Amino acid sequence: MSATIATAPEHLQPDSRTSGAIAAGHAFLAVMRRDLQVFVSYRTRIVSQLLTAMFSITLFYYVSKLVHVDGFGSSQSYFGFVVVGIALVSIMYSCFSIPELVRQELIAGTFDRLLLSPFGAIRSVIAMTLFPLLYSFVMAALTLGLACALYGLRLHWSTVPWSVPAMALALLAFLPFGLLFAALTVTIKQGAIGTSWVIALISIVGGLYFPVSLLPHWAQTAAKLQPFTPATEVLRHLLVNSPQTTSLGAALIRLVAFAAVLLPVSVFALSRAIRMGQRRGTIIEY
Amino acid sequence: MTPRSLELTDPAPQRDTANEPAASDAGGALEHAASGAARQDSARGAALQDGAPAAAAPLTLRALRKRWRKDLPLVLDDLDLTLEPGTITWVGGRNGVGKTTMLRVAAGLIDADSGRAEVWGVTARESRARYQQLVSFLPAGDRGLYARLTVRRQLKFWARIAMVAPARVDATVAHAIETFDLGELADRRVDRMSMGQRQRLRIAMTFLTRPEVVLLDEPMTSLDEEGGALLQAAVAEVLARDGAVLWCSPSGEHVELEFNARWLIERGRLVAA
Repeated sequence: MSATIATAPEHLQPDSRTSGAIAAGHAFLAVMRRDLQVFVSYRTRIVSQLLTAMFSITLFYYVSKLVHVDGFGSSQSYFGFVVVGIALVSIMYSCFSIPELVRQELIAGTFDRLLLSPFGAIRSVIAMTLFPLLYSFVMAALTLGLACALYGLRLHWSTVPWSVPAMALALLAFLPFGLLFAALTVTIKQGAIGTSWVIALISIVGGLYFPVSLLPHWAQTAAKLQPFTPATEVLRHLLVNSPQTTSLGAALIRLVAFAAVLLPVSVFALSRAIRMGQRRGTIIEY
Repeated sequence: MTPRSLELTDPAPQRDTANEPAASDAGGALEHAASGAARQDSARGAALQDGAPAAAAPLTLRALRKRWRKDLPLVLDDLDLTLEPGTITWVGGRNGVGKTTMLRVAAGLIDADSGRAEVWGVTARESRARYQQLVSFLPAGDRGLYARLTVRRQLKFWARIAMVAPARVDATVAHAIETFDLGELADRRVDRMSMGQRQRLRIAMTFLTRPEVVLLDEPMTSLDEEGGALLQAAVAEVLARDGAVLWCSPSGEHVELEFNARWLIERGRLVAA
């Protein structure tokens, strides 16, 4: 029997001034607004996170005074190097927070509702990344601002504006890792376990706290297989004028390539994980 | 046939909006209470044009089979069920007999091993977004709410996720708050509400976008008399516009409703109650 295609209820059909795309855009923004509302409902959270950032940069400010190695002309140049690394860590954490957010939705039973909505679970999970990423963007800027205000970090202002699109590109390259772990969470219900290992590994091979050149040769090879190394290199160059080991163009191309390849792969993995959960009936488990 | 006890006592506001622009339509999203029949005709018209039988029903479950594990018996065993327009059907049975599984398959949440679930002839596989626009599911329990959001924000969020036209979101939410008597709770966070109040909000979310088919799993949980009456009125409104309601609850639960059909699930199949 051929399928009968019913019309949607009238109030759900886009009116003449509203396309489905606009309604979808509003749904994306609704997820972001929801996350902002939940965030501000915990009044001390932002204070706590600002204090964490301040303690981190204070710690590394004094550690930098001990650093006298090749590659860093002064302790201040290592401080600039590591502050950009700290700022990027907050962005990396936000990407890897997505699986935990998905798990919270599974536990609360709201994931079922998202799945049963016309907006759908996949778009909802992607939308869930908006607030954490934007928030981490703000936290990265505040971290740099605190480092300037408290410890005299000198930013390279002529190239700082270029760091914004570069950061956005880095986010697109990082995002697939969060989505892949979200797919894992939907499947095995505990994706957050692996994320802490991956964050620790990337902190080492991504050159967030020390130059990749200090690592053994095999580890340097591993550094080339993920987008965090070129992202930190680009942003350090643009923010504090750190010397580059490769050209800016080459690093940007690597970021674009990572995003172009991994984003579709991660979205596909997420959709397969959800479909598999529906077929097996495990989508309702948490 | 509309059950006698479900007569509309307070029908949804029905202003003549035919000549009004949508943006200025204060209750626009929900003021098409009489349009169900037109939609049904439209669905049937589409069915005829596609060469499909005109008998497409609001909900049809055909030969559903589901087994949770190979070493367990079938929980649904060639289960068939058709909901006709304007009818409410009760399905009961012992705990764990498969009522919730049937509802989850009907809602499009999980897949059956075989068989089909259709809403007006549409399956979730063929058109997930359209399927989800037509059907709404109230799961059992008290989950599915964001604890830190207020009632109004919660409803607004779900209206947007349901892809309600942005110009009509506020009217949709306002109508739900009024219909389910949530005015005093509108700006209260969910984690500060009683279980019964949360259930009323969950029911408001279920009926928020005026679905064609409503699937209710133990909807009376925690509801007081007033909440029960609001639920009955909402059900009556769905039936009045030729939608259909499937109500599942354990056999022992006392429900003061007159159902058009009553079934029990036994060994994966429906038998007359």
